[in-house]
Amino acid sequence: MTKWLARLSALGVAFLLVGQGQTALAQNPQQAGKKIVRIGSIQSVDSLNPFKAVRLISGQIQRWTYMFLTTPDPKTLEPSPDLAESWSTSEDGLTWTFKIREAKWSDGKPVTAHDAAWTFNKIMTDDAAKAGNGPAVENFESVTATDDRTLVIKTKAPQASMLDNPIPIVPKHVWETKDVGTYEAEDNPPTNGPYIPFEQKKDQYVKLKANPNYWRGEPNVHELQVIFYENPEAAVAGLKKGDIDLIGRLAAPQWEAGAGDPNIVQWNTPGRRAAYLQINHGATTSDDKPVGDGHPALKDVKVRQALHYAIDKQKLVEEVQNGLAVAANGSIVPPMYKDFFWEATGEEKVTFDLAKANQILDEAGYKKGPDGVRTMPDGKRKLEFRFSIHTDTPTEDKLAQFLTGWFKEIGITLTTRKLDSNKFTEETGSTALFDIAISGWSVNPDPEEVLATHLCSRRPTPTGEGGGTESFWCNKEYEDLYQQQLKELDRAKRAELIKQMQRNLYVNAPVIAIYYPNNLELYRKDRITSITPVPEGRPGEGILYGGVSGWPMYSMDAKPVEAASSAAGGGANTGVIIGVIAAVVVLAGGGLLLARRRKTAAEDRE
Amino acid sequence: MTAIAWTRRRRALGRFWEQYSRQRAGVVGAVILVVAVVVALATPLVSDPDIMDVTKATGEKMAPPSLEFPLGTDESGRSILGMIMWGSRVSLLIGFMSALLSMVIGTVVGIAAGHFRGWVSAVLMRITDWFLVLPSLVLALVLSAILGGGTSTIILAIGITSWAGTARLIRAQTLAVEARPYIERSKALGAGHWHIMSRHVLPNVAPLVLANTTLQVASAIVAESTLAFLGADSGQASWGGLLRGSYDWGAATKGAWWYILPPGVCIVAVVLAFTLVGRALEAVLNPRLRGNA
Repeated sequence: MTKWLARLSALGVAFLLVGQGQTALAQNPQQAGKKIVRIGSIQSVDSLNPFKAVRLISGQIQRWTYMFLTTPDPKTLEPSPDLAESWSTSEDGLTWTFKIREAKWSDGKPVTAHDAAWTFNKIMTDDAAKAGNGPAVENFESVTATDDRTLVIKTKAPQASMLDNPIPIVPKHVWETKDVGTYEAEDNPPTNGPYIPFEQKKDQYVKLKANPNYWRGEPNVHELQVIFYENPEAAVAGLKKGDIDLIGRLAAPQWEAGAGDPNIVQWNTPGRRAAYLQINHGATTSDDKPVGDGHPALKDVKVRQALHYAIDKQKLVEEVQNGLAVAANGSIVPPMYKDFFWEATGEEKVTFDLAKANQILDEAGYKKGPDGVRTMPDGKRKLEFRFSIHTDTPTEDKLAQFLTGWFKEIGITLTTRKLDSNKFTEETGSTALFDIAISGWSVNPDPEEVLATHLCSRRPTPTGEGGGTESFWCNKEYEDLYQQQLKELDRAKRAELIKQMQRNLYVNAPVIAIYYPNNLELYRKDRITSITPVPEGRPGEGILYGGVSGWPMYSMDAKPVEAASSAAGGGANTGVIIGVIAAVVVLAGGGLLLARRRKTAAEDRE
Repeated sequence: MTAIAWTRRRRALGRFWEQYSRQRAGVVGAVILVVAVVVALATPLVSDPDIMDVTKATGEKMAPPSLEFPLGTDESGRSILGMIMWGSRVSLLIGFMSALLSMVIGTVVGIAAGHFRGWVSAVLMRITDWFLVLPSLVLALVLSAILGGGTSTIILAIGITSWAGTARLIRAQTLAVEARPYIERSKALGAGHWHIMSRHVLPNVAPLVLANTTLQVASAIVAESTLAFLGADSGQASWGGLLRGSYDWGAATKGAWWYILPPGVCIVAVVLAFTLVGRALEAVLNPRLRGNA
């Protein structure tokens, strides 16, 4: 037994040492007096190469380190100057001329229009460079730099979203020598945004320092550290202990765990995400051939509408999202974007009404059998649908329980299938092996991207390659509206067209929006003294981390690190360590008992 | 002839019961099991499955035990007592069925490997060894993830990951039985493989199979709870699923002990009961263990 204790304590020491290593990251005598902000992330950085990166965390770091042609205005979210000081369009809307700002890369070389031209041309001509932002240049005819300060972009068709271009401009003199398909930017190539990356360790952290030559002026904060956590519980524990200063994109239970600490601010504002059900309404590939094994009843718009009436969205907000969401009476664009948000009213508005759902199904000829389950009008198949959700997501699990209960009331059997995320993406995005699935999308200020996920062209190819469809939707009215809004350069008229598209999705119900989860973040006010969200200046609104511009990280201010006082507690996440040790003790104890029992049994036998 | 056989069997059963009843722990285990099985079978008669429907939940969220809800409520206001009663059906069903599946595979492979020597045995034993060294929990998790949720999936996943130990055990016993002279005699009289395996070997390994199955049910119930806790559940309320729910919805931080303890106690009690019964059966059926049990 003493031997066991010795081993156990050795293990404990080992865990503590691991913890100390992480603390050392934050504790460094040279840092005294510096303003350092540490941001926690549950996502690790996939790549610091903007041509390759697709994750949100990487996109955020791009917004903190690079200039873009234009950037959303922190107050209005409308395009405002960044790398381009000003711009103009030709009469036909096909030629855009940008005047490039005088600025310096962090290695001292000047920023020119040639850098921008090279960046766009690289993505247009090299397939390896398309992973990050390929679709953004699809409509580009040519990009040329007529001199150091002038960039000319010609498009194939008018493009209303030109000024929301998501591509960071990289320095030509550094990147033209690299193979963009394999380069991971691990040597921190020069940038020109508010911060400059100077140190990184894969799957652990990225450190950025303030750029003194940034065109708006040097940021208040000297250093920004992005620290990666394996799971949200550990990250919130780290915030409570002071290992990190800010964490965004939290789920309701973790956000609620931040309550009760006077130093922690609970940031709860409308989110940019819409959560919806995706319904297999008869999925087809891009050559209009049926694909997958969706239930035939779901091809009937009546059935889909009946399902819509059988969902109590307000109840779901309270029970599944702990009240931290807004019930959806619209479609895929959340109310945060006032200009483009559409809401159903009057006759069209679907409210929770089981009697009405039953009536729709009765009238459409789906008769209830003796077991209470409806059958198709031809009597061949019962209305038994599968509901695909992800594994390890308690909220989706709870959602499934509620849907199962309500659908049972209208004579529809729902069984839940839990799939790991790769399989889920495949079955709901390309092979269409589902009936109903959970889905969602984080929407940008310009909703073009999310609207495009419901186009015919986004359906999978006949060979089964996914095109990024969110619904397998292919509808004439929707396609026409999409083409019209592309060309409509008047913002108000374009918004009207975009609302019509949302109405199309709401009425035909290939997707049924459930709720818009709030943007939930936590930060330490004893460290971060001021921070402004985007959009700025609207009380009760705005996002700190994960927003569409780097404004919050640029404009924030923090307390300087006091000499040898930061990182008060020892080690990362004492709670986690205690938990691990406890688990080890329990397992070891169990194992010991088992071993002993086995031993006595064996002795008995021989 | 049959009458004589029946008298003999009845007498053997009486002898068995007399010896079993002397194993006090075994009797306690058997009583717990009978209670659990009766509860599982009687639940549909006394309770409506609607109490598991979140849309019809009447209670407060995470309410402590009261007269209306003797074991309190869960995160959606459902009765924990009702969930445990309905959950016992799923937990016991999966426990029994996967133990049965595992025993069938294990017995068939074990007897075949013990009876046919040479390359058949070698191949079967290498497959067995492969399953033996494979981390069965991980394999079961992967299997249930690939096959998708559902009771039969979980039964299959547990069943085909836990038969290897049994196969080894049965093979050893088969070798011992086949070494006896009467097997040689029946071979000389022209008995075929099937006759020897089904008429002579199987009845002799059957007691071992019975005792082992009982122990296997215990570990299958634990496996089911573990899988459910890790998220691979059958889609129906089970004890492991309840534990998972208490973890997911922060019952511990809210001090809702009534959500954590009852399913845990049920698992421990039933697993303990199966183990006690299994040990007692082993002691009764194996004359060498009889003395010191």
